Amino acid sequence: MVSNNSQPLPLEGLRILDLTVVWAGPYATQIFGDWGAEIIRVESIKHFPATTRGMVMRPTKAMVSQKGSLSAYPNRDPGERPWNRTASFNAHARNKKSMTVDMTKPEGQEVFDELLKISDVVIENNVPVSMDRINVNWERVSSVNPKIVMLRMPGFGLDGPYEDYRTFGSHMAGVVGHYSVMGYQGELADMTGNTLTADAAGGAGAALALAAGIRYRNHNDKGIFIEIATAENFANYLGDHILDYTVNERLASPMGNRDISNAPQGVYRCTGEDRWIAISVNSDEQWESLCNLIGSPELAKDPEYSNVSGRRSLHDTIDQLIEAWSKGMDAHKAMNALQAEGIPAGVVMNEEDAFSDPHLEENGFWETLEGAETGKYQYASTLWKTASTDRSHKRAAPRLGEDNEYVYKELLGFDADKYAEFESAGHIGMDYDI
Amino acid sequence: MVNGSKILPMSGIRVLDLTWHLAGPYGTRLLADYGADVIKIERPSEGDPSREMEPLFKDEQGPEKSLLYQYLNTNKRSITLNLKSREGKRIFLELSSHVDVVVENFSPDVMGRLGLDYGVLSSGNPGLVMTSISNFGSTGPYKNWQASELTTYAMGGAMINTGHPEKPPLYIGGHIPSFHVGTVSAAATAISILGAEKSGQGDHIDLGAFQIWMGAIDRRQSYLMSHQYTGDISTRPWPASALGTGIWQCIDGYFMTAVGVGLFPRMANMIGASDLLNDKNWSTAAARSDPERLDESIALIVPWMLERTKAEARDAAQEHGVYGGPINSFEDLLNDPHFQHREFFQEVDHPKMGPITYPSAPFKLHLDNSKGNEKIAAPLLGEHTEEVLKDFLGTSASEIKKLREGGVI
Repeated sequence: MVSNNSQPLPLEGLRILDLTVVWAGPYATQIFGDWGAEIIRVESIKHFPATTRGMVMRPTKAMVSQKGSLSAYPNRDPGERPWNRTASFNAHARNKKSMTVDMTKPEGQEVFDELLKISDVVIENNVPVSMDRINVNWERVSSVNPKIVMLRMPGFGLDGPYEDYRTFGSHMAGVVGHYSVMGYQGELADMTGNTLTADAAGGAGAALALAAGIRYRNHNDKGIFIEIATAENFANYLGDHILDYTVNERLASPMGNRDISNAPQGVYRCTGEDRWIAISVNSDEQWESLCNLIGSPELAKDPEYSNVSGRRSLHDTIDQLIEAWSKGMDAHKAMNALQAEGIPAGVVMNEEDAFSDPHLEENGFWETLEGAETGKYQYASTLWKTASTDRSHKRAAPRLGEDNEYVYKELLGFDADKYAEFESAGHIGMDYDI
Repeated sequence: MVNGSKILPMSGIRVLDLTWHLAGPYGTRLLADYGADVIKIERPSEGDPSREMEPLFKDEQGPEKSLLYQYLNTNKRSITLNLKSREGKRIFLELSSHVDVVVENFSPDVMGRLGLDYGVLSSGNPGLVMTSISNFGSTGPYKNWQASELTTYAMGGAMINTGHPEKPPLYIGGHIPSFHVGTVSAAATAISILGAEKSGQGDHIDLGAFQIWMGAIDRRQSYLMSHQYTGDISTRPWPASALGTGIWQCIDGYFMTAVGVGLFPRMANMIGASDLLNDKNWSTAAARSDPERLDESIALIVPWMLERTKAEARDAAQEHGVYGGPINSFEDLLNDPHFQHREFFQEVDHPKMGPITYPSAPFKLHLDNSKGNEKIAAPLLGEHTEEVLKDFLGTSASEIKKLREGGVI
């Protein structure tokens, strides 16, 4: 790619008021922050957002000593301010700022109005009833700033019987039918486990919606209100199966790791603990190469296996042969051997694989940042690269209220007295006061 | 364009869409949903290979029978063009000078081999945004590697956490790996459009499915950070491995909850076990984090769930603020009163297949005259070839006839 590295980032100059929680909303503002927008997280020292800045405010030693936590603390030590040290928040909040204000109080509402006037976007992904409590809605924000772009992304949308349902991405996925396509063949749903892909989907969809909304504002000189029901967004990831039902009345059932057009396809054990190789054969030529590689060249000539439908009906037998080969193989060696033959194959990567992966390394996928209360760690870079921008992450995740001085003094023009007044009134701070 | 005269967020944006199969078409469909004029370029006579992909309309064969194609290509126009012919290339180059965006998802070196790389396309159109989608991006040791949706999900990392700990990691199902890459490609394109409209300078976007999944917030980012914090390597959690969390059998199916030690009092109330909270073994989050509480809680939750329908469990969960939801089939979803209330499913008429019910676009615009999610059926193969060539390039009827006879269109 041609690189002149002289372009400003595409979202530079945009200011986003970020009222998002947990994952879906924060993923959208992560993407926006990565590409140059100023993200101001609007938080409160009077309210601990469970699962956003840790599952609980102050986890006990027993809780943090648990192995394999989804959101661990550095060296398993929650520290004095655990809410600044939880992995989940630190991972997504790079390049964002944090200010605190208690919007349940009138003067907090005034601060929010002042921020709305100088911002381009306000985004939130809370249960609607929570936003009602602090009067965050389109009527209010558009009356304060008619040119603002507002994105609301509650799980099930802003109306209807489930409007105020409390759910995570995994539950939205269950509601919209994800378990019809995800699951082990012949096993019950309680063996399947869950994913939080609806959050990733919602965050990416929201980043698109924000960009679209800003373009609408730029060309029409007025704001726009966009709604994404995260569940509806994820239902779109299942749209082809939904049409199979609405047109053919065929209800999908899980195929495990198999596929209708790639056979064999599966995930096979390799040497070591929890080590696996995923393999998809999508042509007869690849099948022949696979047979030779796994030491069963006679199968390549066997007419019963010569096409996809034959291989699908003999899939169990094929799986045994592949695993007899793979279980003595290192997963990476297997991947390289299969790819050398042109067969789609990939290690089921864990964290160590990711951090030692040569492709990610060469793509500059990791960026090192130092957090004031965490230390120096590697952060995933942007989801994509562009030819004309030379960018890097600006800073690690903000501590709660880290940017209060900037927001209140520089942006809103507070003097020292008024700042102190807001400190003592429970708006400004870096520790929860609950 | 196909959305008529309504002013939508992407109105006025013209997209030349070279994408095929799944990821690219899903991304350009989203741009079309937001109002962009997406002109899909297909191979003469065969079209996009997804025109043959399952599911098929009543299991019938033919280029206008794939429901997958229909789903991915609503609100677009279709022209046919043979990019391997000299004339075809010339026409593509001319068209590209009239558009804001070109999107492609060929292997990384194909556009260069066709003589249509970003340098060439942008030389006459400096504001052009070009979006290139591939399995691994355009640089690095894997750039020419093969991939499937399964291997992308595996290498992307979330798979190690999906499924049961005593079974192999589990695929996420359907075409989710591709559709997510499509969403990210549309977001990337829209963001670069904002930059290009401000500066007049376009850009070339390089997306790899592997990188997109590795950077996804679906557990990956958290586990990658947690690993650095503790050295732990993540795997698939046991069912019900956190307090009040799991997939539970009900009378008519399954119900899923996610609670944890902090919010467990809500669940205790839901299952009629609020007395527990007076017990010192249960009264604090710290006490509840004792592993013995987990087994005890399961013994209380299982019988409660077994006596209830999914709907009863859902109502109780919502009443008590317990995060959860039923495991639904697509039949359940279509009949669900909430999605019906929101008019989430809409019928779209297709000239060859008749009315087909679709899920609406993944967003609602609160504009005076539009929700912005009205759909027009996917185009027939080459339905708009003449119209586009005439409008964009002023190609005459006789020239079009010649191009058609020469197999260019």
